[in-house]
Amino acid sequence: MAMIQDIFSSFVALVPVTLAQSLILAFVVLGIMIPFRMLSFPDLTSEGAFPLGGCVAGVLLAAGQSPLTAIAAALITGFAAGCCTAYIHLRFRIHTLLAGILMMTMLYSINLRIMGRSNLSVFGMESLFNWSPFGQPGFPSTKIAIAGALGLLVFVLLYLYFKTERGTGVRAVGSNPDMAEAQGINVWTATIGGVGLASAFSALSGSLMVQSQGFADVNMGLGILINGLAALMIGEAITGKQTVLRQLAAPFVGAVVYYQLVSLCLAAGMPPPDLKLATGLFVLLMLALPSLKRGRAPGAAREVMRE
Amino acid sequence: MLEIKSARKVFFKGQADEKIALNGLNLSLKTGDFGVVIGSNGAGKSSMLNAISGALILDTGKVQINETDVTGMPVYKRAAKLARVFQDPMKGTAASMTVAENMLLADLRSQKRRLRQGLNATRLAAYKERLALLGLGLENRLDTRVELLSGGQRQSLSLIMAVGGEPELLLLDEHTAALDPRTADIVMKATVKAVEALKLTTLMVTHNMQHAVDYGNRIIMLDAGKVRLEIGGEEKKQTTVADLIGHFAVKSDRMLLAS
Repeated sequence: MAMIQDIFSSFVALVPVTLAQSLILAFVVLGIMIPFRMLSFPDLTSEGAFPLGGCVAGVLLAAGQSPLTAIAAALITGFAAGCCTAYIHLRFRIHTLLAGILMMTMLYSINLRIMGRSNLSVFGMESLFNWSPFGQPGFPSTKIAIAGALGLLVFVLLYLYFKTERGTGVRAVGSNPDMAEAQGINVWTATIGGVGLASAFSALSGSLMVQSQGFADVNMGLGILINGLAALMIGEAITGKQTVLRQLAAPFVGAVVYYQLVSLCLAAGMPPPDLKLATGLFVLLMLALPSLKRGRAPGAAREVMRE
Repeated sequence: MLEIKSARKVFFKGQADEKIALNGLNLSLKTGDFGVVIGSNGAGKSSMLNAISGALILDTGKVQINETDVTGMPVYKRAAKLARVFQDPMKGTAASMTVAENMLLADLRSQKRRLRQGLNATRLAAYKERLALLGLGLENRLDTRVELLSGGQRQSLSLIMAVGGEPELLLLDEHTAALDPRTADIVMKATVKAVEALKLTTLMVTHNMQHAVDYGNRIIMLDAGKVRLEIGGEEKKQTTVADLIGHFAVKSDRMLLAS
């Protein structure tokens, strides 16, 4: 009984820190969801775009630039990285997953080049989280307020966009590219723009993370993809994905719930090295669930992904 | 008006399995014409339709729609001029989107898509009215995702989407072949009704000789990538299924069955 109380109290003590972290990482989950669900383009670029945003922001912050400049630069470079992945797929007909792996591998070297070394401290430098009109700078509550407000803004803007004429066209590209093209939609523009936007969100997340934790590291993206995917699966299980609203809410809800679950597991004494194995098994289970439910019978309409 | 001039397309050029899909094909369709294209498998019907829609780029030759040369235009640009209904009901609609969203996509086929609200009350009311013409109850299912509709309903939706916005050219690619006889009949009747009401210039590919006899004002028979026979005017009205089958070099069981 005392042990359960111990676990619970150490978990509760970590709730605010974890919440702040999860709201920042929700943007990576968004960056994974948009290509995967809206464009049927399983994209791995985020594993490289997240540290890219972090490294770019880190270098600029260390040089004394404003946090807004750092965030803008992260968004632009992240967008460019995503555009490259989409272009590699479209132009050379390389499988989306392979295009993502290529990009993320190349980004590792680029990130090292940008920073000039493997990690960089920006501790004590100006950060977005110092700018809160309320709450003490650097405290979890401030981070929660700022990251949460930013998340809400992005959520609302994306929701409105996907309801416009142009946004509906982008979704059609994900649903049926041939049909979309026959309805006068330029599949290349929609795909490149969409995947670019998603990678920009991943890079944004990296730049916020660097400002939150006070340092940038080339390895900060390691495993971010599988974490993000796990968060997305949880989010979709909670919100569903039948409508644009639900699909867009899934990354945010999923990120918050997933990182609290991880925190609970750690508080319960799960050895941190086992975390990736556990996450991987969880994602596998979520992806396998429909086929397990069905048994060995041939499936109904399978979701079609671009290759 | 549609004009195809000496269109040529060779697949696997210079290889052992070289295949001449279009061999100097010429075709001209006047505004308001309803042409029915027949021909055995491999005659070049699909290649011709793909060359018109832009899915296939010709080796040589020219495609013109209403005086505009579209030979080098990509599919999404030609979409402003033409609409197409595919044989496969899955191909012509976006499955994970709703009936209303699909209607919107087709509605904007020839317009620039802007950053303004897509589905508004005016549009929804118009879509409802257009779908009601089918008599399939689709007008009450605007918010249903298309993947939940039956094949016949999806194909009917494809047709309504295609004829909306009055395209300069309507391409029907065996669009009733995958449906059961009753649904095929509904879709065919709706097609004829829309084509006549809107006076659309139409090209319909079919394997059904009865359809070729019953519908349209011209029969175009393809063979080996060329137009082998054209029947129009009074002669078209006198033509019977037996006449048509007589023109096929190979009388396959499938054709006899189809009649």
